[in-house]
Amino acid sequence: MNASPRKLTLDEWDDRHEQLRRDGLREPTYGGPLRRHVVRDRNFRLQHLQFDNSPAALRLWNFLLTENQRLHQARANGDKLVGAMKDLGTVPVMAYSLPSMRAFYPDGAWWTPCLMECGDMLLQQAETMGLDSSFCPVRAMLPAFEHGGHFPRPDLLVCSAGAICDDFSAIAQRLEHLGHPILWWEMPRRRQPDSGETACALPGGLSAPKIQVDCVRAELGRVGQALGELAGKHLDDVWLADGIRAANRVRRTLESLRRTVYAAPAAALPALEMLVAEMLAIHFCSDREESIAVLDGLLAEAQSRARRNQFAVSADAARIFWVNPVADLRAMNLLEEIGGRICGTDYMFTHALDLIPEDLPPLEALARAALADPMVGPASDRAARIVRECRANGAEALVVSRIPGASHCAREGEIILQFARREIGIPAIELEISPVCDAMRTGLRSRLQALVEIARDRRPA
Amino acid sequence: MDVFLTSPWIPPEWVRAHGLQPRGIWAAENLQRLPCPLSAGVCAFAESAVRFAQSRAESAAVFSTACDQMRRAFDAAIFRGQRQAFLFNLPATWQTAAAGQILRSELERLGRFLLAMGGRAPSPEQLWLEMLQAGRTRKLLLESARASSSRGFAEAVARFHWDGSFSPPPPAAPADQIPLALVGGPFLASHWKWLDALEAAGGRVALDATEMGELSLAPPLESETVAKDPFDTLFRGCLDNTIGVFQRPNARLYSWLKPRLASRQARGIVLWHFTGCDLWRAEAPTLRETFGLPVLLLEACAEPGAAPRDLNRLQAFVETLR
Ligand code: SF4
Ligand code: SF4
Repeated sequence: MNASPRKLTLDEWDDRHEQLRRDGLREPTYGGPLRRHVVRDRNFRLQHLQFDNSPAALRLWNFLLTENQRLHQARANGDKLVGAMKDLGTVPVMAYSLPSMRAFYPDGAWWTPCLMECGDMLLQQAETMGLDSSFCPVRAMLPAFEHGGHFPRPDLLVCSAGAICDDFSAIAQRLEHLGHPILWWEMPRRRQPDSGETACALPGGLSAPKIQVDCVRAELGRVGQALGELAGKHLDDVWLADGIRAANRVRRTLESLRRTVYAAPAAALPALEMLVAEMLAIHFCSDREESIAVLDGLLAEAQSRARRNQFAVSADAARIFWVNPVADLRAMNLLEEIGGRICGTDYMFTHALDLIPEDLPPLEALARAALADPMVGPASDRAARIVRECRANGAEALVVSRIPGASHCAREGEIILQFARREIGIPAIELEISPVCDAMRTGLRSRLQALVEIARDRRPA
Repeated sequence: MDVFLTSPWIPPEWVRAHGLQPRGIWAAENLQRLPCPLSAGVCAFAESAVRFAQSRAESAAVFSTACDQMRRAFDAAIFRGQRQAFLFNLPATWQTAAAGQILRSELERLGRFLLAMGGRAPSPEQLWLEMLQAGRTRKLLLESARASSSRGFAEAVARFHWDGSFSPPPPAAPADQIPLALVGGPFLASHWKWLDALEAAGGRVALDATEMGELSLAPPLESETVAKDPFDTLFRGCLDNTIGVFQRPNARLYSWLKPRLASRQARGIVLWHFTGCDLWRAEAPTLRETFGLPVLLLEACAEPGAAPRDLNRLQAFVETLR
């Protein structure tokens, strides 16, 4: 089964899946050919993507694309479902600390228009609901809630408020007006401690004043109480500590995977699969134990390829650091088609990759982790981490991918680009990627190509 | 020293008590006019605030976290080298002890910033006097709201936000104009011509519920007897009286609007918003559904003469309500 790394189209994966089955591939309950996600769920974008050919990648895609069914199944089995919105990485750790509870991000509807190539009409429906293209693609979440079908209605909706993007804040508020009650919790905008204030160290080398940590801890306490009430159990420190350890298990594996793929001279796994793998950190794709197994599989594959000196992307490819997730997954393929590779990322949830402190009281640790969110602090903090990681991984160029309509993109791209140019002097561009970027593919391709060429030209002769 | 405030929810009396001059940046007549929409989706008001603050190197600027755009405008100001700037963390929630603690500590932190800017530590008596004075002026403005001309009221409120003074707004000319509510984001001096255009079209603003209009006028102090702890009264006033579209949930805004829309007999709502302002823009359907009134979305852009399409829409809106 250990074929050399190759990119496969969906058609090619049909044959490969058949072959793997004949060779005795054993799949989890959600396994099967990728084709069915097109036929059954109308995820037409898959027909235009290139996938890694490993069984580990197959498992990853099947895991991702069955989340809705798995959530329905979990509910049928009596599990409680929590819709965690916006914080990307903290509330799910708490929810999964309780038995029979699952958290998912309705924000994930962000990618539905891409996957369904807008055949879902969610963006159009959002427009009729007053959310036009001046809002980011997360607006797809509103009709997804109203009309159902994309994810089950959660038993509890939780959303952070305060230092969050305007898009989400506005859309979540609209959701509440439409009759979906939300438990809002305050997330202050992170700042440096003033002189004379007690400073608390946060993951990612950041710090915040104690008063902010105290505030978030109290707010998470409120969230924990609501989760406990929903579960009919008290979410105590013992459970939370277990939950943190399990989340850290995911984060450690992901960190090893990122190091194996991003820091190596050549990439053992393609950018697209790595993007999906990173996403598992934020809510475990609704199944924490299985997400560990999926990541273990990917890590084993990447390490085995590295040992065999076989790579998905050649060592000659320009090393690109990528900022922000792409609204169209196809952009990740495109980058590799034109001779680039990912050597580091900031997909807006670096705080969900860092380990949650295990030597602090659990709520305190979670509060510190939540405050390390790159989106709640100053853009310069985010830029500084990007620059650090660019240096560490030898980035030759930087791409800030702009999310159409996103309130934060209006500003932070400029700051990140200027900061990077000033500090490390690598070529850097900002480009916008829409949920289905085919129409702008030519322009996108030539801009990326130019960047890759410049990056290569700068290599010492 | 002038201290420019970018949000009406940052109490000017706290600045004045430090011996500094608070100025609502939105009330500045020469707040830079920018081409709009700005290409990158940046809110023109937030960007104007950055540029205005930059051009006043001898002054200080206080930004707020009420929205992502303004929060990041502060980042941009710092990145562009602005040194005398402060970011005030306005909590989006108000119902919890944690939100109260954040707000209180931000007021204290602002106080320290003002001292660093050359202000003096206010005595409780001074603070109380400033609070009384501001409260009285707000009361006068609130009392005049109903009977004033649309533009006169906007100008009077802007004057208060600029220098704390009260100048009685001229009364509304008696006419059978259609009463409307103007709801939304900052309504700047450069926008006042829209009020003339509205009146010329046969409408009038019966309720100025823009952020810097009546919505920004907190009710006066309950008692004029000197409080034991004026700072605590100030803090509680801020906590209780901030009514913003950014709050979560934004139920306070709707509770505030409901009786006023009824008592002013508003027949329609003009929703005024800047390009890129998600928070206000997203409220259109909710305003429609909650109050059963027609809503016209009007983008804060050029003057009426420079936006003939929007002027037509406004005229047609008033016409249909006749
Ligand atoms: S604006 Fe940015 S942070 Fe907010 S929902 Fe959209 S992509 Fe996510
Ligand atoms: S107008 Fe809207 S986007 Fe602009 S600063 Fe005000 S709330 Fe923010």
